[in-house]
Amino acid sequence: MFFPVSGLSWSGIHHANVLVPHAVGDLGIAAVISSLVFLLVFIAISFQLLHETAAAMLGAAAILLLTYIGGSHNPNLQILSFEQAMNSVDWNVIFLIMGMMSFMAILAETNVFRWMAIRFYHASHGNTWLLTLSLLLLTGVTSALLNDVTVILLLVPLSIQLALAIGIHPYTLVIPEVLISNIGGAGTLIGNPPSTIVGSYIGISFVGYLANMLPIVLACMVAVLIAIRLMYRTEFAPRECESSSALVEKLSRDSDIRNRDTLLKAGVIGLLIIVGFITADQVDMPPGVVAFSGAALLIAWVRPDMSRMIREVDWTTLLFFIALFIVVGGMEETGAIQWLATRIAVIAGENADRAALLTTWVSAFASAIVANIPFTVAALPVAEFLTDMIPGAASSGIIYWALVLGADLGGNATILGSAPNIVAIGLLAQAGYRLSFQRFARDGIIVTVITLMLASIWLLVRY
Amino acid sequence: MILCATRGGEESTITQNVAIQLAKETGELLALLYVADSSFLDKTASALLVNVEKELSNMGEFLMSMAADKAERQGVKTTTVVRSGVLRDVLPMVVQELNATTIVLGKPAGDRSRFNAHELDQFVQHLNEVTGAKVILAG
Repeated sequence: MFFPVSGLSWSGIHHANVLVPHAVGDLGIAAVISSLVFLLVFIAISFQLLHETAAAMLGAAAILLLTYIGGSHNPNLQILSFEQAMNSVDWNVIFLIMGMMSFMAILAETNVFRWMAIRFYHASHGNTWLLTLSLLLLTGVTSALLNDVTVILLLVPLSIQLALAIGIHPYTLVIPEVLISNIGGAGTLIGNPPSTIVGSYIGISFVGYLANMLPIVLACMVAVLIAIRLMYRTEFAPRECESSSALVEKLSRDSDIRNRDTLLKAGVIGLLIIVGFITADQVDMPPGVVAFSGAALLIAWVRPDMSRMIREVDWTTLLFFIALFIVVGGMEETGAIQWLATRIAVIAGENADRAALLTTWVSAFASAIVANIPFTVAALPVAEFLTDMIPGAASSGIIYWALVLGADLGGNATILGSAPNIVAIGLLAQAGYRLSFQRFARDGIIVTVITLMLASIWLLVRY
Repeated sequence: MILCATRGGEESTITQNVAIQLAKETGELLALLYVADSSFLDKTASALLVNVEKELSNMGEFLMSMAADKAERQGVKTTTVVRSGVLRDVLPMVVQELNATTIVLGKPAGDRSRFNAHELDQFVQHLNEVTGAKVILAG
C-alpha cells in the first residue's frame, strides 16, 4: 500500500466473537475526517443541497487533496492514495450501469413503452383496474430489467395522460407505479442501484441473485397489488366509462413503434445479454462485462450517431458512483467503517437472525429518509464485517440480503426514499398535480410495512 | 390576445377559469401556454436516457388540448403553445411573439411552485417592463 493505514489500531481482542478497537479514542484523525467528509456528502445529497454528482466529486476531491497536501506535512492526514482510490471503485458496477445505459438509450428511441401502454389501454376496454394492473406489471418487469428512473420517465407522463383521458385522478396510476418500480427493481441484479452495488460487492451471479431475491420480490408485488386494489377501490369500482375519445385518439396518434429494425436488433441483443447474465457464472465473468459487451455489439449493429450516443450515456451518474466509491473507500481505509461495524455487531450480538432483522429495518428506515445509494455503499463494508463476525451469517449471506431488501423496499416509504419517487413527483408537478409528502407517505408507509414484514419472514425462513 | 401560462392540472383550474372568463367578456383569442421545464431533474444523478423535454412536451400538448376543449365549450376561441425551457425566460418571448396584451398567471401555491411571492412580484414587474402587457394574478 502507498500509505500505512492510519487511525485504528486493532488489538485482536475478542469480545463476544467481535474484534473491537482498544477504545473509542483509537479512532484516528484520518478516520474522523473521512467520516466527516462522507457525512457532508450524505447531507448534501439527501437534502438536495447540491447535485449528487457534484457533492460526491467534492467529497472525493477533498479526501485526495487532504491525503496529498495535508498528508505530506502530517502523516495522520493520509486518508487514501490515488492508487487506493482507484481500487476502491467497483468497476463491475460502473461497466454494468454503462452497458445497460447504452442499451436503454437505443431501446427508448423505438417508442416501445408508449406503444405497449396504449395497447394495454385498448385491451382493458375501459376497466380501470385492468388498465392499472397491466401498467403496473409493465412497470415492475421493466424496472427489474432496465434502469428504474428511465422507466418512470417514460411511463409516468403517459400514465398521467391516460388517467386524465379516462377520467380518474393521476395519483391512482402514478403512485402505485412508483411503488411497484421500487419493488420490481429489487428482483434482479440490474434493477436498482442498491441491488447492483450489493450483488457486485459479494460477487454473486445473476442467477444466484435471482434465486435469493426473486421469490420474495414476487410475493411483495402480489401483496402490494392486493393492497393497491383495496386502497383505491373507489377509483377502481365499475362505472360508466368516462373516456374522452378525442383525448384517447390524441394519445394513440403517437404510439407507433419507431424504427422496427432497431427494436428487433435491441430485442436480439437484449436476449443475448440475459443469456449472458445467466451463463456468465460458468466462466467467472462479471455481469459488467456481459452488459458492456452487449452494448458494444448493439452499437456496432445499430450504428447510431456515435457522438449522440456518447451524449446519451449519462456520465454524471457514472461519475457519481466513482466519486462515491472513493469517499467510502476513505472511510474503509482509515478504519472508520470497521469502528462503526463493531458497535453494530455488539448490538446485534451473535444472533444472525437478529442482525438480519436489525439490518433490514434500519436500512429501510435510513432509505426512507436519506438517499439509499450512498447509504448502501457505506453500509456494505459494515455488512461484510457483521457477516464475518456473526456465526452462521457467512454461509447464508443473510446480512447482505437484509441490506438489499431494506434499502430497496424502504425507498417506498417517503417521496425522498428513491430517485424514481423524486422524478415522479417532479413529473406530476409539471402536470399541475402537487403530490404532498403526507399523501405519498399515506400509501408508501403501508406498502413499506407490508413488504418489510414479508421480507423479514423470508429472511428468517429462507436462511 | 390573452395569454394564460398554465400547467394544466388541478392546480391550474382557477387560473384557467379566470382566463376563460376574461376571454369570454372581451371576446379576445385565448392562448394557452405550457412550458416543459425539466429543471426538477437538476439535482439527481439518476440515468436520464430519454428526451425528457420531448416527453414533457407531449404531456403539455395533451394538457393544453384539454384546457382548450374546456374553453371552447364555453364559446372561447383558443390557440395552444408548448415550449421547452424555464417559464421566466420563455414567457416574455411568447408574449412578444403573439403580441399578447394580457397575461394570466397563477399565484404561488406552495414550496414547489415555480416562484415564491417575492419572486413573482419581481417577475410581474419584469414582464410589465419588457412586454408592456397587463398581468393578472389568479388564485
